[in-house]
Amino acid sequence: MPLFGKSQKSPAELVRSLKDAVTALERGDKKAEKAQEDVSKNLLLIKNMLYGTSDAEPQTDIIVAQLAQELYNTNLLLLLIQNLNRIDFEGKKDVAQVFNNVLRRQIGTRSPTVEYICTKPEILFTLMSGYEHQEIASNCGTMLRECARYEALAKIMLYSDDFYNFFRYVEVSTFDIASDAFSTFKELLTRHKILCAEFLEANYDKVFGHYQRLLNSENYVTRRQSLKLLGELLLDRHNFSIMTRYITNPDNLKLMMNMLKEKSRNIQFEAFHVFKVFVANPNKPKPILDILLRNQDKLVDFLTKFHTDRCEDEQFNDEKAYLIKQIKELKPSEH
Amino acid sequence: MAAPAATSAPVPPWSNSQDDYELHDVIGMGATAVVFRAFCKPRQEKCAIKRINLEKWNTSMEELLKEIQAMSSCNHENVVTYYTSFVVHDELWLVLKLLEGGSLLDVIKHKMKVTNCKNGVFDEATIATVLKEVLKGLEYFHSNGQIHRDIKAGNILLGEDGTVQIADFGVSAWLATGRDMSRQKVRHTFVGTPCWMAPEVMEQDHGYDFKADIWSFGITAIEMATGTAPYHKYPPMKVLMLTLQKDPPTLDTGAEDKEQYKAYGKTFRKMIIDCLQKDPTKRPTATELLKHPFYKKAKDRKYLTHTLVAIGPSLETRAHKASKRQPGTSGRLHRTVTGEWVWSEEEEERAEDQPASDEEPADEHRPMNELQRADSSASEDEKDDHFEQRPVSGGLSEDMPEVINLVLRMRNARRELNDIRFEYITGKDTAEGIAAELVGAGLVDGADSAAIAANLDKLIASYHVEPKPEGGPCKAVTFHLNSADPSQPFDDKALIGFAQISIVD
Repeated sequence: MPLFGKSQKSPAELVRSLKDAVTALERGDKKAEKAQEDVSKNLLLIKNMLYGTSDAEPQTDIIVAQLAQELYNTNLLLLLIQNLNRIDFEGKKDVAQVFNNVLRRQIGTRSPTVEYICTKPEILFTLMSGYEHQEIASNCGTMLRECARYEALAKIMLYSDDFYNFFRYVEVSTFDIASDAFSTFKELLTRHKILCAEFLEANYDKVFGHYQRLLNSENYVTRRQSLKLLGELLLDRHNFSIMTRYITNPDNLKLMMNMLKEKSRNIQFEAFHVFKVFVANPNKPKPILDILLRNQDKLVDFLTKFHTDRCEDEQFNDEKAYLIKQIKELKPSEH
Repeated sequence: MAAPAATSAPVPPWSNSQDDYELHDVIGMGATAVVFRAFCKPRQEKCAIKRINLEKWNTSMEELLKEIQAMSSCNHENVVTYYTSFVVHDELWLVLKLLEGGSLLDVIKHKMKVTNCKNGVFDEATIATVLKEVLKGLEYFHSNGQIHRDIKAGNILLGEDGTVQIADFGVSAWLATGRDMSRQKVRHTFVGTPCWMAPEVMEQDHGYDFKADIWSFGITAIEMATGTAPYHKYPPMKVLMLTLQKDPPTLDTGAEDKEQYKAYGKTFRKMIIDCLQKDPTKRPTATELLKHPFYKKAKDRKYLTHTLVAIGPSLETRAHKASKRQPGTSGRLHRTVTGEWVWSEEEEERAEDQPASDEEPADEHRPMNELQRADSSASEDEKDDHFEQRPVSGGLSEDMPEVINLVLRMRNARRELNDIRFEYITGKDTAEGIAAELVGAGLVDGADSAAIAANLDKLIASYHVEPKPEGGPCKAVTFHLNSADPSQPFDDKALIGFAQISIVD
């Protein structure tokens, strides 16, 4: 079945028809069913233009450029995302595929769609709010992670108030949505090292204030995931000053010591990787030193018995031996 | 999924609260998961709940997410329906559509047990009907850009109304990588199911595409006729070599008697030959296969309710068997049929791996799909390992050579973690010999042969050290690979540029 038979539409016509159909769908009048059909049909045609089909190659660069230009001119990307919940199951996936393909488009070193979205940040905020709605969350997540690969777009998201909604999204009850939100959250906090470090430094109190809630979550997965990410963030050399700040706070140390004793071995293990930074710090502030000294014997005893069956993990055993030695040798500081 | 807006009485969405579900009997078991027949009270609807123990899950949650998303991005009558998932303590509960007919393998096994299947398990009409549904699911799958990677009768589920759905897609992949990389309990994960595995997947030296599913589909067609995959009698390494070196298998490959399957016609045989071409580009796509004349024989769903569902074991029977079987006596379904190499999900775990929850039966260490094994064919398959050298009855006697089971865990060309299982017979095998065999089977790079041999030697030597060190001998060794891609940062924990050999007991 030739998809571009005699009735092949130009990119402009295709975008126009899709826009009309989405607008009709948005109005939700009695023609909604027909609109639904038109949306799906036109989305598929656009998708096939970009990706090709088993019978047809993707369209030429010129056609694709025209298509992208039409999408910018009509603001159709935003309209599609705003109406994503009204589009049928396969259509939602097609929107994400079309969006991501157009986003990746390059002219030399320029990414025109990234430039376009920078002028229309509403697109990003609408996508982020997609996590509020179960039926579109994972489609929005797919598009958001593609956006997060571009520093300019990641920056807009990180520095927006909406970013803090992620602390709520990663805890929603539906696992796949919470995990999807978490992977976007993680991508935003780790992908562009320098941007991330600057952001975390500038917003340390606010971010770690929120982060604390994740570490104390009732949800096992949230606790385990956020603890693991915390370890990764603190041990990334770009985040050195954030790490230094984190390990001077005795409350953080107390939390990690409690997590070392959690029932879950996985959480214990992740907590170890944060705890070790407190101990390895050559300039421990007095409150930190006091806590370690107060628990000196117990910690040595605890660590000696800690995960002794990980005999093949040399790095872990070296680190553990080092921590035991450090803690044994701790002396009250002079000042 | 949310109820369509058009329904008159709105059905509440699938709940994310444990309290809204009644758990009934266990219908499947795995190393990290138990599947229950369940009932969602707010919706007054039956469902299946797969409880995955996340504490046994040490790899990234992202792997798990990827596969659940693969499932939730499918909306097709021939692909298992995912409803929702949520976290309960340290478990993930996946709520899925309940298919009461069990797996196609359950039905094959049952039929082979109760009737004489020497001349074939199912007639062509039944086979065509089921396979056509499977193809429709595969077509959808592939159009979604997904590859199943583990098509076989054990992963095809049947509804009481004759519905046919592909299940467990990708689950195998996440199960393989989702194991604890740092704990000794690691055992029994395998590189897919070799009996169904396409040659290009075994070779692992280049990527493969959805055509690999077509190969597995062809093997499944043979399985539906003969009851087993063609090389099911052989150990995994042998299966790899037979698949790579011999002409593609046919209906008659595993037959004891040449005339045995003569009732199956040319069209069916031709369809199998089309699927089982070594060159993946020559295999038809799912869409093309659907047009194959063989599928003119396909009937409707109702037909299956007579030929399959009615003759299959009842869910009660399967559940009953699930709860009765003891760990030592339990057959391992995939072993029974394949002769070997199964995903860990279907593999047993030892007592120490049992979930803490006391709701679960004590003998939960059984594969998920093995609920209906043919006891008659049990002898060689019942053993904890499949190796032919092992005596069929009874354990090792004093003068028997000691057999050490090992797993080599490393990444394949696509950087996915694979486990390659093999045995070492003290006094008979040498580390060099095994390394050479692994290279010969195309499983590892020749450049790594020496490293594998040396580390295997080291591990075996430390295993035999007397007296045993406190806490038992070290059972795993991690080492650097010469074949490692220098452009990737090496990571011994994530086994990037590294491999690990561990002893499985």
